[in-house]
Amino acid sequence: MSFPDPIAVFRTEAAELLEQIEAGLLDLNVNLGDKDQVDAVFRGLHTLKGSGAMFGFDALAAFTHHCETAFDRVRKGEVPATRELVTAVLEAKDHMRALVDTPNGDHEATGEALLANLRAAVDGANSSGAGSPAKAAPGQNHFKIRFSLPQNAMANGTNPLPLLDELRELGECKIVADRSAIPSLELLAPTDLYVSWEVELLTTQPRSAIDDVFIFVMDEMQLDVVTVEPPLAARTPAKSAAPVAEALPAAAPQAVAAAPAVPPAPAAPALVDAKQKKTSENVRVPAEKLDELMDRVGELVIAQSRLSQLAGGSGDLQLRAVSEDVERLSGELRDTMMVLRMVPVTQLFGRFRRLVHDLAHETGKTIELLTEGETTEVDKSVIERLADPLVHLVRNSCDHGLETPEERRAAGKPEAGHILLSARQQAGEVIITIKDDGRGINKERVRAKAESSGLIAPNANLTDQELYQLIFQPGFSTAQTVTNLSGRGVGMDVVKRTIDALRGTINVTSHVGKGSEISLAIPLTLAIIDGLLVRVGDGRYVIPLSAVEECLELPIEEDMRSRGRSFISLRDSLVPFLRLRDLFRTGTKPDPFQKVVVISTGSERVGLVVDQIIGDHQTVIKGMSKLHHDVATFSGATILGDGDVALILDVGHLVAEGQQQEAHLRAAG
Amino acid sequence: MPASAVKEDCFRLPQNLTVRAITIVQQEMLQFLDKTASATIELDDDCQVDISFIQLMEAARICAGTAGKHIALARPASGPTLDVLTRSGFLEGMSAEDLKFWLHQGGIQ
Repeated sequence: MSFPDPIAVFRTEAAELLEQIEAGLLDLNVNLGDKDQVDAVFRGLHTLKGSGAMFGFDALAAFTHHCETAFDRVRKGEVPATRELVTAVLEAKDHMRALVDTPNGDHEATGEALLANLRAAVDGANSSGAGSPAKAAPGQNHFKIRFSLPQNAMANGTNPLPLLDELRELGECKIVADRSAIPSLELLAPTDLYVSWEVELLTTQPRSAIDDVFIFVMDEMQLDVVTVEPPLAARTPAKSAAPVAEALPAAAPQAVAAAPAVPPAPAAPALVDAKQKKTSENVRVPAEKLDELMDRVGELVIAQSRLSQLAGGSGDLQLRAVSEDVERLSGELRDTMMVLRMVPVTQLFGRFRRLVHDLAHETGKTIELLTEGETTEVDKSVIERLADPLVHLVRNSCDHGLETPEERRAAGKPEAGHILLSARQQAGEVIITIKDDGRGINKERVRAKAESSGLIAPNANLTDQELYQLIFQPGFSTAQTVTNLSGRGVGMDVVKRTIDALRGTINVTSHVGKGSEISLAIPLTLAIIDGLLVRVGDGRYVIPLSAVEECLELPIEEDMRSRGRSFISLRDSLVPFLRLRDLFRTGTKPDPFQKVVVISTGSERVGLVVDQIIGDHQTVIKGMSKLHHDVATFSGATILGDGDVALILDVGHLVAEGQQQEAHLRAAG
Repeated sequence: MPASAVKEDCFRLPQNLTVRAITIVQQEMLQFLDKTASATIELDDDCQVDISFIQLMEAARICAGTAGKHIALARPASGPTLDVLTRSGFLEGMSAEDLKFWLHQGGIQ
């Protein structure tokens, strides 16, 4: 059994915290008065600082402390939240990521520059808020705290000093170490912790602030907190919360003499049952372990398919019963496995908020990013591979799609441009759409560029969709100026390649002056799908079941009548169809009762003529070899129960081919 | 730098006095106290210190006291050692004897 590296675990948690902090900052940027977001950012920074110190990331803890302090001041109403402060902390957040990734790197100069920015932002906020009256100090709470950390706390990387420092930051505080449990040197386990503490705290913070200090060690520690009533507002403070470094040797004993002995607790103790307080509802599992499990489930599905075939050909009823049980169980296991791998696209969309924020700053445009359908779930491997294409598309929308505020005003549009990033599930696909209300794609310019670069013949007859697809050609750019964001024609071809590799399709619509919309239709998973097993000639093929709309018979007479037209009438609409026997050049005669499997992507439909529909089939997708990488008709292969290989049809490609055929036939009249 | 005796009753502590290195300091100090009746502990002003060291010194004082031996710091605690003593709340509960040991002070003033 392998145990996770604590540093790696911290890095994962830190990455999540940093994402939360960034999301909170971006929300705050939209509504600077949102106190919940101020609290959320503060909590994130506080947690990051605490866990950073615990795992030995001292530079991170020290740097984060400054940002936390700035937000604490916002939280307390001492300074207002401003866009400058948000920007400064956003930049600081990037630095924190560097401190997590390379804690021993040379970050000092960058850190100092960022802290100078932060100071300037806070000072600016201070002066802008000078007109507002200082808030009256709310009533203080007086707590008596007694705590001891687990005996192995230090050996496990917990340093009690930052915890004590955090307690001091809560208010006026007197901390007394209880060392009565320290044994003689020969009995001492030197890495164990024998000291416990008694603390008297006068603070405006609630009781929960004390728990927050100990949040990472709460499970195993002993913590008793007693609230003293009434608050000792009139009592002489036990000791100033001045920085420790300022303490002088001679001053300490004087403070001891002046400090009163801790009196017995007058109020009922609010004993914290720490072990009951936190229960973990989630388990963190490395992604590669899930991938391994997925592979095993895939092998099981293939083995089950073989068992089903053997049982089907056997007269042994018990074997058949066992086979049916295994089939049911493997199906359930597969479904459970798929759910484990599904993650909401919000993880993907979250990162674009920062991108758009930065791009708006860079281009001088006012851009509002809207998102929809963030709870839509997609396989994690799909999410990871979608990130890069979406970055290109969003950058393009920001840089080329949206106009400057002046241009928008002149065009009678609102000054702020909008980008809508949406996701929705449709059958077995997720449709991700990037829509902007910018200037739209200039078709004439696209055509002229395509003609001049020899991509299309002059005056070639192209549908709008075919014309727009040209922007995904390598090196194709209609941008009049090359910026540091885009315009070199690099990027959209990468988008196309990535989406093709995901067995997805891209659909573009655009209206000059109104904006553009690019839709990516991506399969929900790349691992196991439900398929429809069909026979064409002597070969067997799998059609993803999620794309299948219906199956029809195609009598040979009708096939003969339709020859040359390749259209079938389906409830008053004509659907183009492809004869797979011809496409695959099987050289066999058609079956007397062929079938048409109608498949669709989005609103486009096409029929596939096959000889026989064998039935549904759990399909474990295996990648094609590099040699067959360019075969667009197939998206992968699978192993059947009898050990044969069946190719999986690429629905997007076949629908596009069918539609192309339809367009050309219509154009030919 | 490993802990080593500089002179007969003087025990020089290494630079790293944190939990990562404290086990070896304990072993060497035990050996040292075993051999001498009076020990003076030398501590660098800029050494790395955490609570494990303060605990160790308190344990060493108990050990020496039980054996009727004398142990003292060569100089009053300063720098990081004083910082840790202050932050960890050790100074708050100190007796006259503690003050004499850690800060070379005669008593509560």
